[in-house]
Amino acid sequence: MTSPRPTSQDITKLIVRVSMKDRAAFDLLYRRTSAKLFGVCLRVLSDRGEAEEALQDVYVKIWTKADRFAVSELSPISWLVAIARNHSIDRIRARRERTTAIDAALEVPDEKPDPEAEAVAGGERDRIHSCLQELEQDRAAAVRAAYLNGDSYAELAERFSVPLNTMRTWLRRSLMKLKECLER
Amino acid sequence: MTPADDRDLEHGGDDALAAEYVLGVLPGDERLAVARRIEEDAAFSILVGAWEERLSPLNAGYEDVEPPASLKTLVDARLFERPDRKPKPRPSFSESLAFWRGLAGAAVAALAIAIALPFLQPAAVPEAAPRLVASLADDGTDVRYLAVYDGHSGDIGLSHVTGDRAQGRDFELWLIEGNAAPVSLGVVPVGASVHVPVAPAHRQMIASGALFAISLEPEGGSPTGQPTGPVVAAGDLRSI
Repeated sequence: MTSPRPTSQDITKLIVRVSMKDRAAFDLLYRRTSAKLFGVCLRVLSDRGEAEEALQDVYVKIWTKADRFAVSELSPISWLVAIARNHSIDRIRARRERTTAIDAALEVPDEKPDPEAEAVAGGERDRIHSCLQELEQDRAAAVRAAYLNGDSYAELAERFSVPLNTMRTWLRRSLMKLKECLER
Repeated sequence: MTPADDRDLEHGGDDALAAEYVLGVLPGDERLAVARRIEEDAAFSILVGAWEERLSPLNAGYEDVEPPASLKTLVDARLFERPDRKPKPRPSFSESLAFWRGLAGAAVAALAIAIALPFLQPAAVPEAAPRLVASLADDGTDVRYLAVYDGHSGDIGLSHVTGDRAQGRDFELWLIEGNAAPVSLGVVPVGASVHVPVAPAHRQMIASGALFAISLEPEGGSPTGQPTGPVVAAGDLRSI
């Protein structure tokens, strides 16, 4: 589908209309955002069939929870992505622990920046990246992998060959450093 | 986990927990517990929101992937085709009730509308008739309604968010324009999502920016034609 990249305002309008049960707005919102959200589900779940099921759940949630958007301070796309991420992560946590070795092979984080996405996110993206660079390299990689793939502490600990609690302490400290840098 | 580890993990407290939740690394049971807390603990949900915002630039790392064309049909079937069950008029509201109740006060609901409104100029979905929304609340009560006025049908949809009417009393909806005497739009029917028709004579008042108010009245409505009980919620209309 080649509709022009929607602006944040367009999406906001659509979400508010969806909160009033406007089906035409829901259709349009789906057309404009489903590729992004499917990308999220697929990346986290790394299984097409499951990602398709998850995406259905995500849009059912969007329909029923759209009224909550008004009290969120997130940009509309970030709000939608948060729903898709949270749902996908809940799903992988609920399914039996996967064999981490296979996952590690499947889920090598794609660090290649997507130029289009980069242009959209603008300066703030640069900012979080420069802040991530202030962290030790493997910790920054763990933060990115955790966020994009929805890796659990257990999976990260195994991947980075450290005890689980060490990984938890690492990441907590890294997140606090990241916050401190972003607020600087 | 040993007690020493627990102590170490307390470092950062709720803020660190919110960060871990947003990052997505928590085990399933902890995630569920945190998700429940977000619903119930407004201060904590603000921490989570701040982390979502902080980390959201990482979303640029997700690539768009077009889902199969048939998927939207499945979504619609799940949402709109439930032959086994009578569709509820506003399924979202029972769900969001707990959430709204968790909010600090009436001001938050009003603010929410105020935040959303600057973005809302009629454009994305063309629509000829004006639609207006008002959040009806009052600091002194927990009565809260969300009102949506459809200028085309002349119908006000009222969603009951919180606040019960006292036994043997009714809520009555009023239209207030400037200093003129309030005009009754009738008793608000009992229900989570109800509709109040607006007589053509009153539509002009709404179009010109009258205020909505809800008062507590004897059963069946005000005996005098003017509000006799306290105003339990009020709000002005904004176009969407």
